[in-house]
Amino acid sequence: METVIETTALTKRFGDRAAIDGVDLTVPAGVAFGFLGPNGAGKTTLIRTLLGLTRATSGEISLLGLPQPAKRAEALARVGAIVEEPKFHPHLTGRENLKIVAAARDRAAESRIPDALERVGLGQRANDRVKTYSLGMRQRLGIARCLIADPALLILDEPMNGLDPAGILEMRHLIRAFVAEGRTVFLSSHLLDEVERTCDHVAIVDRGRIIVQGGVEEIAARGDPTLLVEVDNAEAARRALASDSRVEKIEEEGSGLRLTLGDGLPIAEVNRTLVQAGVAVSRLEPARATLEETFLAITSRLEGNE
Amino acid sequence: MRLVRAEALKLVRRRGLMVWSFLLTVGAVLIAEIVLVTLHAVNPAKHGPAGGASNLEHFAFLLAGLGNVAAIIIGATAGTQDVSNGVFRDLVVTGRKRAALFNARVLGALLVFLPLLALGFAVAVGGSFLFAGNLPHPTAADIAKYIEYAVAICGVDIVLAVGLAAFASSRVVVGVLIAWNAIVSHLLIAIGSLGGSRKLIDVAAAEHFAPRHAVGSTIAMSTAAALLVLAGWTVVFLQAGRFWTNRMDA
Repeated sequence: METVIETTALTKRFGDRAAIDGVDLTVPAGVAFGFLGPNGAGKTTLIRTLLGLTRATSGEISLLGLPQPAKRAEALARVGAIVEEPKFHPHLTGRENLKIVAAARDRAAESRIPDALERVGLGQRANDRVKTYSLGMRQRLGIARCLIADPALLILDEPMNGLDPAGILEMRHLIRAFVAEGRTVFLSSHLLDEVERTCDHVAIVDRGRIIVQGGVEEIAARGDPTLLVEVDNAEAARRALASDSRVEKIEEEGSGLRLTLGDGLPIAEVNRTLVQAGVAVSRLEPARATLEETFLAITSRLEGNE
Repeated sequence: MRLVRAEALKLVRRRGLMVWSFLLTVGAVLIAEIVLVTLHAVNPAKHGPAGGASNLEHFAFLLAGLGNVAAIIIGATAGTQDVSNGVFRDLVVTGRKRAALFNARVLGALLVFLPLLALGFAVAVGGSFLFAGNLPHPTAADIAKYIEYAVAICGVDIVLAVGLAAFASSRVVVGVLIAWNAIVSHLLIAIGSLGGSRKLIDVAAAEHFAPRHAVGSTIAMSTAAALLVLAGWTVVFLQAGRFWTNRMDA
């Protein structure tokens, strides 16, 4: 599969602290790729390094198959990016702000402005000053600014930040539409649920290192299996299961329990244990681990190893 | 050229900046002319005509002095607005060379400022002919000399402001350059023990082109030397600004 971003042993240090530490990242073309990690994990630093906004301490970067920074201008001509929150000249209109950036791009960029504004739903507000825009409108104008490059790759840093639910849904649809057009969208986020809903592939980063990367389904499947249990007496059920070392975790969930099962514990045996303890079982449902649970499991294991 | 036009657009859309720049250039000359015309109309025996060669000299001095402040404000704004508005990184990620972005700031600032200076000068020259009365008209040589002076002092300062703005906020740039032009440089020029080294001061070089009544305070130097000094200051500030724009994290 063709790759649009590839890094090898990429490291960025600020003094003694490594903000990104030996990162090997591979982003395939034509997907929505989530770069997932908690705040301070190094997501923005990696994006800034990819885009040449700050210099890497060591390592190699390839963007759209072009080595960086040697072929920087050539690669970035086909990249649209929002780094941190989208910023604009507040005294200029939305359209004028796009003209400013279009002037730094190829000659065709200016002709793409009207379509880009319509695409993000800002056609009617294009001649208003940006200082009158809401955060959601600024996010959309940031996307429009990316689109005037007709990008093969969009790099979006926390694009859902500050958006209301409708705005998040709209952004999700936009991202999926870009992927449907054959573009690649690389987005960073700390919102696990959003990444799971929006992205096909994901890399989980923590403290500057990539912990795992691959397809969202594939990574979520790495999480421990869980079981949702509805019983008449949750406390009795908890007592009955606590003695079984193969039940790794028991959490309350709604009126029932969520069990995290260790290797080799069949669901039928859980049922037997509960029944033998006099607990009436009304529901036993295996649950697929969410990306969030996998992420938390992975990071908590790491913390446990330290 | 598209980048330069974009820089100019950013500047001309700043209403406050443009109003002040207009007042400090065209407005200052207009007000001065209105005052002189009114005084002459009220008491022609005490106040001579508002035009003529001598008044053009005063207008040129006024235009250079106040226009210089406008030049610094425009240069400082051009030099800082991308970074202060957080847009610099969005320009960098287009792949355009940072040096090109910096150069566009300089040319964009000049593109906005020079027409104001030219208009102010046109008003001054027009008034000097229109209200000359019995006074001699300025010669073409006079006019050329005053244009040289205004361009030397304002043109150089706008470039210095853009260069310095790569390192500091616009307020700091404006404060430092006005303080340098109005106070510090003149103190240094007044220190006789500094001798010929005072020729290296940009203000001393610019004043080589000053109207006659200000010449007494200047350091004597050839036109070539004055041009060389001004070019040196311009090159140093441009290179420093370009260097830092290339080097800084965006």
